[in-house]
Amino acid sequence: MAVLKTENLKKYYGKDAILVKALDGIDLSVEKGEFLSIVGTSGSGKSTLLHMLGGLDRPTEGTVYVDGKDIFALKDEELTIFRRRKIGFIFQSFNLVPVLNVYENIVLPIELDGNPVDKAFVKEVIKTLGLSEKTYSLPSQLSGGQQQRVAIARALASKPAIILADEPTGNLDSATSQDVLSLMKITSQRYGQTMVMITHNEGIAQLSDRIVRIEDGKVIGKGGESHA
Amino acid sequence: MGIVRTNKTMKRLEQMLDDAIEGQFQEDNYDETELSRLESRWKQYLSSSRLSVEAARRERSEIKAILSDISHQTKTPLANIILYSELLKEQPLTPEGEAIAEQLHAQAEKLEFLIKALVKMSRLESDILEVVPRKQPLRPLVENAVKDAKARAEEKSITILEPDFDGIEAVFDLKWTEEALFNILDNGIKYSPKYSTITVSVKEYTMYVCIGVADEGPGIPEEERNRIFGRFYRSAGNQQEEGVGIGLYLAREIVKKNDGYIKAGPGTEKGSLFEIYLGKGV
Repeated sequence: MAVLKTENLKKYYGKDAILVKALDGIDLSVEKGEFLSIVGTSGSGKSTLLHMLGGLDRPTEGTVYVDGKDIFALKDEELTIFRRRKIGFIFQSFNLVPVLNVYENIVLPIELDGNPVDKAFVKEVIKTLGLSEKTYSLPSQLSGGQQQRVAIARALASKPAIILADEPTGNLDSATSQDVLSLMKITSQRYGQTMVMITHNEGIAQLSDRIVRIEDGKVIGKGGESHA
Repeated sequence: MGIVRTNKTMKRLEQMLDDAIEGQFQEDNYDETELSRLESRWKQYLSSSRLSVEAARRERSEIKAILSDISHQTKTPLANIILYSELLKEQPLTPEGEAIAEQLHAQAEKLEFLIKALVKMSRLESDILEVVPRKQPLRPLVENAVKDAKARAEEKSITILEPDFDGIEAVFDLKWTEEALFNILDNGIKYSPKYSTITVSVKEYTMYVCIGVADEGPGIPEEERNRIFGRFYRSAGNQQEEGVGIGLYLAREIVKKNDGYIKAGPGTEKGSLFEIYLGKGV
């Protein structure tokens, strides 16, 4: 079953002469456990697409299904909760809370939800990501690569339906990037975690199971259909 | 009063779920309340789902047993067929007879290879042969796999360029990972033209090391890059090549069990580039 699916997804900005079609009818389907890359140049619509997939912004037309649920049929407050439970985000800018230590940052989304933390799982994720010695460090005491590893751990900890990663290595040098990407690949493999990664870099996209290319708000080629 | 009872019921429900997740749910209350009835139904559901999980597991192990029986029982007759086909080739035969005997021998060897690969696969999948990764030098792994591959490469006059490196360690199971790397080299040799070069490289990162195998073959179309690791997958354009489509599948399974991964992509100029990533255990 597809864990993520879009149908005729459109997002238009402005109107008439200055109408911008950021997304123009995207059909996409992602199977459970798949690691998908969405590749496009800047302005291709890939970031808009990620915002729609993550329920951060509403489309002009079309639907997004996560775990079989039409997420835009939800009210704003419901959507916020849905997002917290079902979607993990990894951003270029890490977005860690500076006054919380590594462990507290990782379990924050779970605790916000009032759920008990699966301590054994979190500990294992921390170990897999090579953060055991940094468990009680503050983000400011970490390198960029380490901070992004914390962000990956945070995304994984609540066992979401999908992890969405927006240029996860955008702020990292190429050697550090390779480690972060390897860890994303390994965790997706080990935990059967569905991941969707946005990047402008073809080389980075190669490690995913499938590449979808976006240009002028449209999927080009036949990458949109799942063949997993 | 009502709120207190609701709270208590919610607490009990949550407790029931937690117990179920841990696999140790027991019915606590036997009385005329809704909660007691719910507990009973919950217990029924858990028991039936556990039964179906067990049935699936049993079925899987039966299939594995059959597979290993088949491979075991076919071993001797197959070895005999190969032997007799060799004896047959030494007999005075018509040219046509010779050609047929040659075919017979080649096909029997192919069957033997296939059965061996199947046995390996079933053992790996059923965890009979365990992959035990441990931290050790990378050099023997690369050296051994390249040495084994060189014999095959020579048949096609293919040169294998080895990297020069020292002191790099990674976490892997030597015997199995050697097989994985060999399979990738073997695949490269199979699809590369004569007199071409295969370049093996080693790159070190903070947490991972990467062993690269670059060939000068036809390359792999993007939509096939993930499927080539599937069981019995053969590229449409390569049906005439010897092989059964198991080597890359095995390679990926082995590397996965070492908590690493394999990536396939285009080479810098032509051909394809396979990369094995292994953790350094830092």
